[in-house]
Amino acid sequence: MDTSSPTVFVNGELLKLYMGRRVRTVVQVIRNEGGAVVGQSTDNQQLTVKGPNQSVPVMNFMEVIGVADGPQSIRAEICTDFGSNFDTASYNGLCKLANGQFKNLFL
Amino acid sequence: MEKLPTEGGIARILANPSPDSASDVPEIVLQVVDLKPIGNSSTRYTFMASDGKMKVKAMLPTHFASEINSGNLQNLGLIRVLDYTLNSIPNQTEKALIVTKCEVVASSFDSEIKSEVKKEAEMENEAIKVNKEEAAPSIVLKPKQETVVKSAMQIVKEERGNAAPAARLSMTRRVHPLVSLNPYQGNWTIKVRVTNKGNLRTYRNAKGEGHVFNVELTDEDGTQIQATMFNEAAKKFYPKFELGKVYYISKGSLRIANKQFKTVQNDYEMTLNENALVEEAEGEVFIPETKYNFVKIDQLGSYVNSRELIDVIGIVQNVSSTLSIRRKSDNETIPKRDITIADDSNKTVVVSLWNDLATNIGQELLDMVDTSPVVAIKSLKVGEFQGVSLSTVSKSVVQINPDLPEALKLRTWYDSEGKGASMASIGSDMVSPNAKNGARSMYSDRVFLSHITSDPSLGHDKPEFFSINAYISLIKGDQTMWYRACKTCNKKVSEATDSGYWCESCGKSDDQCSLRYIMILKVSDPTGEAWLSVFNEQAEKIIRCSADELERIKNEEGDDQYQMKLKEAMWVPHLFRVSVTQNEYMGEKRQRITVRSQALVDPATESKYLLEEIAKLSV
Repeated sequence: MDTSSPTVFVNGELLKLYMGRRVRTVVQVIRNEGGAVVGQSTDNQQLTVKGPNQSVPVMNFMEVIGVADGPQSIRAEICTDFGSNFDTASYNGLCKLANGQFKNLFL
Repeated sequence: MEKLPTEGGIARILANPSPDSASDVPEIVLQVVDLKPIGNSSTRYTFMASDGKMKVKAMLPTHFASEINSGNLQNLGLIRVLDYTLNSIPNQTEKALIVTKCEVVASSFDSEIKSEVKKEAEMENEAIKVNKEEAAPSIVLKPKQETVVKSAMQIVKEERGNAAPAARLSMTRRVHPLVSLNPYQGNWTIKVRVTNKGNLRTYRNAKGEGHVFNVELTDEDGTQIQATMFNEAAKKFYPKFELGKVYYISKGSLRIANKQFKTVQNDYEMTLNENALVEEAEGEVFIPETKYNFVKIDQLGSYVNSRELIDVIGIVQNVSSTLSIRRKSDNETIPKRDITIADDSNKTVVVSLWNDLATNIGQELLDMVDTSPVVAIKSLKVGEFQGVSLSTVSKSVVQINPDLPEALKLRTWYDSEGKGASMASIGSDMVSPNAKNGARSMYSDRVFLSHITSDPSLGHDKPEFFSINAYISLIKGDQTMWYRACKTCNKKVSEATDSGYWCESCGKSDDQCSLRYIMILKVSDPTGEAWLSVFNEQAEKIIRCSADELERIKNEEGDDQYQMKLKEAMWVPHLFRVSVTQNEYMGEKRQRITVRSQALVDPATESKYLLEEIAKLSV
């Protein structure tokens, strides 16, 4: 397992703390704009996802793994369709815990 | 300066009857006892010179009379003998000590000083003797002397008063902590407060009629013990013991407590008979803090119908008016009031206050309900009315806004979150553990497998219920998976002689029977593993086919397919509602865990539950 660049679990709020770092998050696809996808993060912020693999249908959930290149933008390397059944509250809770008191378990 | 008579001083004087000069006289301090004037003289005084062991008749120099007249030296005072002679009295074996020079060391003393440690009784006698002795001179003495004696008496009384506590402590009043009492050590005294007083009950048994009453005693450390008194002792001590007062008790007897009747946590119980000593302690300040062991409202489920009394603390949200309930047994009407309390487990529960608690405390709470007071209640019975209900008993104690850290914590929680939060009653969680919304109830009394397996005494009395989240880790294919059941009543049928099956309870025979699952599964969770007994309904959901179908697969499609079916069921996480009981099997006590209901783990709800639990960890 390659642990050289650990990917941080982020939501909209936490994305700006990890600028330039490898991050992963789940967004709900709102619309497709040319090469970019606008998604709603689990804490209801609008994020822009640039990059290939944009075949996730609108209203589905998509996991994005990439580099944070802006306070609300990610340059995606991998996008995965998580389907339509996803509990945003739990994921949000996970992000908060993974970056809060249990940070050492993740990074 | 010595304030005590010199030990052996008299002996020394007797040994050296006529010292050559004052310098030869060693420092001898003697107590002046029995001081009285000779005849009507106001200048010549006679007394008994005491060194604590011996006494000798003595006379004071005339020039010293002024000291006595002024009150500088009184009876029971101390003098240092500077010069003396010892004269032989004609016709008497005794000697007389003529003190020629002396000085006052102490003008008066509380009593005659003797060198042995006195018992209080003796001291009292001494004091009485002294008083009597004093009384005698006061009659004989001239009026002028009366003033002296009176003040001496006063001083003696005062000194006695001051000495009294010291005297008391020095005797067998060494207070033993309740926790150190045992039936094999008889000589103890305890200092306790009456924290509960029972009623004087009359009973009838083979020997006739008797009276009994008991009290609950608590000492400074918080240890409690129950004391019982019968017949004469009951009548004697019933009026003596008052709730809340502190007493010194000794000469009681101890024995092992009868677990059936005991109300306090103590291996022993005390009996007091007529010989026991009970003395009220004056002005005692120690108030043993009511020791609480609070249970959070969301944990009450496991105490339902248990004999154990529990304590709770919560914010009062609602107070009902007083209701009168008629007791069926004797048609007596008892007042009752229901209050709703909430705590930071985000659950509410209803507490029923009975009798005095309903009328007095209940009214107080009603008046202040708008301030959302904190209430702490000790010794509540947990019932299953409306799921979970709490009820006061005669020994329950209610404290409003107590000075406890838990109270403060609740106050801050309520002011910040609790006030606005909509909280569910814990009762509603418990009402139907096998409800259609089975998944919801899988979150009450959630435990890990280790909680069940590590405690072999669980469920020894009544079955205890828990929820668990575990993976199926093994289904043994070679066990008896099912039994033949009657199609109508599902009970076991036996094979009838003329083919077909005979059902005992229905009383008829049938060609057909159904197969119903009865199996044991092994489950695992992060803390360990356990074997669960599973019946038809739940087993069908786990294996995902009926018993009949499984048998068909086994017989028609071969063993491989059968094993495959079982394998597919393994390593699937399930939520189980289980009951734990203890039964004896071949003389050994075994724990039996039976599945009452089952549900698949819903990741979203489970995650929510986990997040809640994680949040609780960090508090």
